[in-house]
Amino acid sequence: MSYRTLKSDDIEVFSEAIGHFFATVTEERANVRSAYLLEQPEPIVWGDFNGVITVDGGYVGSLTFSAPRALLSHVLLHMGEKQLSDEHHRDVVGEIANTLSGWTRRHFGEGLRISPPRAFGGRSQSVEKLAKSAPYAIPLRWKHYEANLVVHLDVVG
Amino acid sequence: MTKMMIVDDSMVIRGRIERLCADARLPDLRVVGLAADGAQAVAIAQRERPDLVTMDLTMPNMDGEQCIEALAGLLPETRILVVSALNDKLTALRAIGKGAHGFLHKPFNDDQLVEAMRELMP
Repeated sequence: MSYRTLKSDDIEVFSEAIGHFFATVTEERANVRSAYLLEQPEPIVWGDFNGVITVDGGYVGSLTFSAPRALLSHVLLHMGEKQLSDEHHRDVVGEIANTLSGWTRRHFGEGLRISPPRAFGGRSQSVEKLAKSAPYAIPLRWKHYEANLVVHLDVVG
Repeated sequence: MTKMMIVDDSMVIRGRIERLCADARLPDLRVVGLAADGAQAVAIAQRERPDLVTMDLTMPNMDGEQCIEALAGLLPETRILVVSALNDKLTALRAIGKGAHGFLHKPFNDDQLVEAMRELMP
């Protein structure tokens, strides 16, 4: 089985997914910055909360959305949620990772098979290295909060 | 009175849809069940016999497609609105083929969800 790395238009669709999510749910656009390659071979987590989607099918790897608590609290409030427990923050960070991943199937097709999200706080867990290529980080700013989507995917075949 | 069941593995999404069910544009709608996966949904549906269901697709235990198929067999009159992030045509066509009646992509805003539910209300 052979693997290839993602192309620039593959990465671009993740940036579009981020923009679409914040515009639709909060009616306030996120400033999505240029993607860059991470130097370390495994995906990193750096937010207060992390949502991880494992991918298989025609692709192999993971997608990790990392965000500070305050950003997620604002998103919860935009969704009408008044309870702001740790459990709610883990739930919403997983749901954001799920929504961003699923939205990109308009580009990748159903060959991008995604798992239900796994979510955790801080660095209490790590993200397994499933892809062989280097991960990309896509930084974003929404209101005055910084967050990241780490895309670590190989194309199979 | 339209009986409604919400199926999604995210409690935040379940809560959001439940709150929107109180919207004035959705009169006579009562939530009779909340399920975090397909297996829970089938159990609730057998007991409560909902008229309308919102259905996530990517869920643990029993996923949404399997659940749609089960509900279509158990309760053929029940209307099923898929609310999923999976944004490709084949997935939508397959869900409709298994018995769903509508498809709303995540992310959605309040108006989009209310409108999609209104279209499927009996």
